[in-house]
Amino acid sequence: MNTFISGGCKNGKSFYAQRLARDTAVREGRPLYYIATMIPRDEEDQARIRRHLAEREGWGFETIEQGIDITAILRRAKAGENIDTGGVFLLDSVTAITENEMFPRSLKGGAAEEIGTDAAAPERVRRDMLAFGRAVREAGGSVVFVSDGIYGDGGEYSDSTEEYRKALASVDIALAEDCERVVEIAYGTEEIWKEEDR
Amino acid sequence: MILIFGGAYQGKLDYAKANFNLNKICDLSEAAEPDISADCFCNTESYVMNCVKKGVEAKTWFEENEELLRDRIIIVTDVSQGVVPIDKDVRAFREMNGRLMVYLAGKADRVIRVFCGIGKDIK
Repeated sequence: MNTFISGGCKNGKSFYAQRLARDTAVREGRPLYYIATMIPRDEEDQARIRRHLAEREGWGFETIEQGIDITAILRRAKAGENIDTGGVFLLDSVTAITENEMFPRSLKGGAAEEIGTDAAAPERVRRDMLAFGRAVREAGGSVVFVSDGIYGDGGEYSDSTEEYRKALASVDIALAEDCERVVEIAYGTEEIWKEEDR
Repeated sequence: MILIFGGAYQGKLDYAKANFNLNKICDLSEAAEPDISADCFCNTESYVMNCVKKGVEAKTWFEENEELLRDRIIIVTDVSQGVVPIDKDVRAFREMNGRLMVYLAGKADRVIRVFCGIGKDIK
């Protein structure tokens, strides 16, 4: 059973998702994976990653680094890497993967530099996310997708940011439709938007 | 009246189309003024922004047409959840949009919030 989680920033989504993924893995006796989606670009990112690693310490997660091209995890498993497709995967976050794919960067003189917008990315991310969720479900495992609610703002954004909001929303809507459970987290409390048995 | 609201790009109009029989939709991001013959008004926040620019209160038209709007669907984007905008007009827009939504939610028989394409009745 797959779950889609969203909500505002710093509302406790990741903690809720971590607990859900761990409890599912323990209950069903499945391996537990954390898909690390952040591609560090500077010291601030490195510090964030160290903090996240410390927060997950002792939870039993095995970390899989995959910041773009999420279905590569399926190919890596098939190629013999020690990844069980029937495990429990925590994908935190859909936001980061969409950003990484839409705004590819290159390293120039040690600093990350944006190299334009990939207009084909939204459609591709949507397709890959659905394919990943379905493949894991078929193998008996489950995925907990974490995204971010960035849609309640009154301010005006640049065109590329607006394109990004639109793209992430389309990925969110597709995942919400495909997942059996949809949860919005508001300051640590859960609002269930969808719950079905499958 | 039915009020449907939610954040930007959440699939509010698609939700309305899938759940109600809509014959005529008035898209207020294109129309300058609401067309009272429509059974659904969408992008209502664009009308609010126009009202800010003209210096009129957005809910006035809805109050004046209260009786006729009883069986209509009104879709508004919720823009209330970010930081106070720096731009004066955007600030005024956000507040006027809030006043309109409070008025519409009060008058509506049904209020539906849409999140990631899923609707939930909150009134």
